[in-house]
Amino acid sequence: MTSPEPPAPGTIAARSRAAARELARAVVGRFQGLAVALHQTWRRSLQIRVVTITLVASSLLVGGFAYLVADKITNILLANARTDVRLRLDSGRDYTAKQMAIYTEPQEAGLDDTLLNTVDYLAGGDPAQISGVVVGLRADRSSGVIEPQTSPDLNVSAVLTPELRAEVSSGKIARQIRTGDVGAGRTKYLVYGSPVPTRVGQVELYYLVPLTRQEQTAAEARATVLATGAALVLLLGLLAALVTRLVVSPVRAAARTAQRLSAGLLDQRMTVNGEDDLALLAASFNQMATNLQRQILRLEEMSRLQRRFTSDVSHELRTPLTTVRMAADLIFTEREGFDPAVARSAELLQAELDRFEELLTDLLEISRFDAGFAMLDAEPTDLVPVVHRVADRLRSLADRIGVPLELDVPDAPVIAEVDPRRVERILRNLVGNAVEHGEGRPVRVSLGLDDTAVAITVRDHGIGLKPGEEKLVFNRFWRADPSRARQTGGTGLGLSISLEDARLHGGWLEAWGAPGQGAQFRLTLPARAGDRLTTSPLRLVPADAALPFTGPRDGGPLAIGPAEGGVLAVGPGPTGPGPAPAGAGHRGAHERAV
Amino acid sequence: MRRRIVLLAAGLLAAGVVTGCGIPEATEVQVDGPGPVAEAGSVNGQGLEPPKRASAGSALQLMTNFLAAAAGEPDQAYARVKEYLAENVRGQLPEKQGSEVVINVVRLKKELNPTPVQGGEAKRFAIDVDQVGVLRADGTLGPPVATESRYEFLVGPVESGRLDNLFVLNAPKGLLLSVDALRTYYQPHTIYFWNTKQTALVPDQRYLPVAVPVGRRATEVVGWLIDGPSEWLAPTVARLPDRTELIGTVPKTDGRLEINLSGPTEEPAQLDRLATQLAWSLPDVDGQLELKIRNQTRKMIDDTDVYLKEHPVYQLGGPPQRYVVYNGAVHLLKPAVPGAGVPIFPRHNQNVVAAAISGTDQNALVAVVGSEGRRQVLRTFVGPPSIAAGSTSRASFTSIKRPVWLRSADPDRPVGLVVADGALYRFGADAQLDPVNTNVAGRVAAVAVALDGHRIAFIAGGKLYVAAVTVEEGTVTVHPPRRVHTSRTALSAVDWTGEHDLVVAGSTGQPQIYEITVDSTRETALKTDVGEVAVSSLAAYPDNPVVPGGSAPPMYETNGVAFGDLNSSDSIGPDDVAEVESPAGRVNPVAPFYRF
Repeated sequence: MTSPEPPAPGTIAARSRAAARELARAVVGRFQGLAVALHQTWRRSLQIRVVTITLVASSLLVGGFAYLVADKITNILLANARTDVRLRLDSGRDYTAKQMAIYTEPQEAGLDDTLLNTVDYLAGGDPAQISGVVVGLRADRSSGVIEPQTSPDLNVSAVLTPELRAEVSSGKIARQIRTGDVGAGRTKYLVYGSPVPTRVGQVELYYLVPLTRQEQTAAEARATVLATGAALVLLLGLLAALVTRLVVSPVRAAARTAQRLSAGLLDQRMTVNGEDDLALLAASFNQMATNLQRQILRLEEMSRLQRRFTSDVSHELRTPLTTVRMAADLIFTEREGFDPAVARSAELLQAELDRFEELLTDLLEISRFDAGFAMLDAEPTDLVPVVHRVADRLRSLADRIGVPLELDVPDAPVIAEVDPRRVERILRNLVGNAVEHGEGRPVRVSLGLDDTAVAITVRDHGIGLKPGEEKLVFNRFWRADPSRARQTGGTGLGLSISLEDARLHGGWLEAWGAPGQGAQFRLTLPARAGDRLTTSPLRLVPADAALPFTGPRDGGPLAIGPAEGGVLAVGPGPTGPGPAPAGAGHRGAHERAV
Repeated sequence: MRRRIVLLAAGLLAAGVVTGCGIPEATEVQVDGPGPVAEAGSVNGQGLEPPKRASAGSALQLMTNFLAAAAGEPDQAYARVKEYLAENVRGQLPEKQGSEVVINVVRLKKELNPTPVQGGEAKRFAIDVDQVGVLRADGTLGPPVATESRYEFLVGPVESGRLDNLFVLNAPKGLLLSVDALRTYYQPHTIYFWNTKQTALVPDQRYLPVAVPVGRRATEVVGWLIDGPSEWLAPTVARLPDRTELIGTVPKTDGRLEINLSGPTEEPAQLDRLATQLAWSLPDVDGQLELKIRNQTRKMIDDTDVYLKEHPVYQLGGPPQRYVVYNGAVHLLKPAVPGAGVPIFPRHNQNVVAAAISGTDQNALVAVVGSEGRRQVLRTFVGPPSIAAGSTSRASFTSIKRPVWLRSADPDRPVGLVVADGALYRFGADAQLDPVNTNVAGRVAAVAVALDGHRIAFIAGGKLYVAAVTVEEGTVTVHPPRRVHTSRTALSAVDWTGEHDLVVAGSTGQPQIYEITVDSTRETALKTDVGEVAVSSLAAYPDNPVVPGGSAPPMYETNGVAFGDLNSSDSIGPDDVAEVESPAGRVNPVAPFYRF
């Protein structure tokens, strides 16, 4: 048994690199997610925006102020220290000069002792009691005859720089801040130096005063200012949050109320609290809502009255019409006995009464839809016989006009849960229209299905529809060409009723047409009543329709289908050899699903 | 994006607030301006230094210089002496540091006389000396320690033939200084210490090298005061309070001397005493004197001259007044100081052999030696003459010398000293004599008291001594005396002529009167022709800084005749005695004395 080979170093490196990349990606992803969330929050919440802006602005302001104050305090402390040390330096210099006045030669006995005593005295005497102040006397110009002395006896070279010594030994009073360790830990020193003229030559007096206390005070002041500033900023943020909340809450309530109003809940109102601007807003909003509600109710009432009127008129007309009808029928049957002109009038009367009755029927139907009394009487129905029945009933008309009626219906039954009476009415209407506008060219009725829906298209090759007319055709009493004489006794309400019927099913009724290419209507119904439609088994735009651009496009055929809201969508079609032939609809719904 | 920039700016600002406005770690050198420049002032030149070796042209000169080489500032003494020594022997001179430096002061008995060394260029000096004392770093000249009476030195060139480059070729055991060099390169200076009762100042003589610049002398003197008195005075004087130190130096600015002391002296009386002590001790005080205790000005003397007059070092009555015993009574000598009198009732002023008067007329201390047959007794009269009843000693003696009052005694318990029948006694107001131990053997021939009353000079066993005395409850204690080395013999009388000077009657084969310092450094003959008979008594008014005694020369008596002037051979005659209406025949005035 062999032990597992240790992984090659390169592998480990690669792995760790990969792991690192993974980690980095995860972190970046996390951050990106966070950023997106933040951005969304930023966009959505007025309160967050206001609070953030307040915080940032007040931070800037308070920060600037804090900087100024802290800087000022530090400067004052430093200036005080400087003045203090300068005074000490001056008096120390006078003292040193006085002490040195008794000497005339650098080599004189006791000079070193005097220097030492002087620095001891100036440093405060007892080295154990001094507060860190170091006093030094040097004679940098005496070429080493006079030993430098410091009290306490420390090596101050860390803070006493050659530059300062050069300035002071050249006869100037100079100072410098240095940080260094002269034996008591790293400390910040204010080093002040002054030349002391004596009869033995110039000596230089240095004061090294620790700035520990000043630094502490400055730090405390800074901390206080920062704490105050931070508290102020927080307070301002809280205040902003509070104020924004006061303002935003009613606005949110208003938005909610408006949403409800727009959803139809007209009795929604805002709560009015107090007498401030927001209360005024709420009151105005409520006023507006009340007005809107009143208006809408008035309009609804008017609409209702209108529909009622239509329905009542239709009903009221039916009774006299029946009487008229009976009389007209009598006259019509007796027309052979009249002179031909009267007989012709009787025929005309009869025809117009038929139309009148139809119109009344349609009006009643429409008013039923409008009143919401239309009920769907859905049952599983085989649509193939329905199509055949419609075709059979209209074949005589088609033959009369000379329009060939073609059916493209599957052999197998196409079962759907529909109201067969309404579907038949729709189909009758569509095919009747197609025959009427067929211009003698063939009208083709296709039936297709898939798992969820069934579809019936009616294709004619008449004058077609102008762009925009696809919608208008469903309007009541709409005519493409009002001057055109009616050949058939359409009431102008057929497509409207058909549309209502389709809607009652939860289905679609759509139209396509192009000038010179004819038109196609498609009825799509859910296979089970109450289902929601997503696609249609058949295409609205016929396969033989010329596309609005020239030439076939590369990359396969396009499919045009309904998109959400009943609009057309053009997208890549199913991959297959060439455009579908004219009889493609025969092949069954499952092949045509888009 | 905008928000990010704002946040970034805020962050930077916050960081700036935290770090930016602190005290910087380090800055550039910032120049405030020009410093003070040296003022052109008078430079007190360096004092006189002993000559260098190279300056000597001859072996004799070199030797003379060598005996002065140690003079000057003590810490450089060895260096100066070594410079004279040949390189190979320099190491043989044992070197001492600081206060350990002692210089043997010697008096040459003869002139330096080089003798050539056979077969060489070197010269030999055989120097016979008297050891005078040791000069220490604190300027005191103590009793001699070394016992050598002869030193031998070889002086010659190190390189053959270089007679212009001479060295001392053998090293001495210690530093040597001739008395002549001491006189040349040192300046005697008197400093004062308060006595133990803080009632009077006691002078203490020091030697200040003239090499010390004038400006530094005050510093040196204050240092001496702090270091304490000379050894022999230590029992009788008080040191400065403990922990008294000089802070810094004693600078003189604009005529004002500034002394800064550390010490527990805060009490006004003590400060006054300290100020007085300093004013009297410091050299060259003429203007202001500022006394600081721990940097605080505690005493300011605006005019030292006035202050010194107001605070005399000795309480002296007035100008020196001479007295004499004439015809058995104490009399004033002419010229009489106005107001001076004989503070003794006339009926007591009889049968007087010798007398001593001290104090004022109103509160006089009078001690007289009276004769009772062949014996002598001591009588004292204390207080105003009208009430002073007088006391007489119970014991009588064959001979009682002139008594002296101790000025250091408590005024309520006056004490005097007297030599009677070769022994030293003390006496009080009751005139009873109690023997006093002098610590030395031999007959006591004479005693004299210095102006301060704390030092006495006496002749015992034929030798001259000085000693410190203390008076405690009327008891006189003589502390271990210090011998004054004198070349004279047959010493018979002594008195003080100055703070550190004695006038002594002795003999160099012939009686003479001479002056000697208490440290034996100077011995000067004042009068060599005093006759054949030894001087029996000497009276002097000590020269002092309070009352200049120039007009008060020493008086002496020899062979029953009193002389009032060393420079004149005229004796004091009856005509010189004041207030004597009828001179009583040929009786000579005797036992002259000064009142102080």
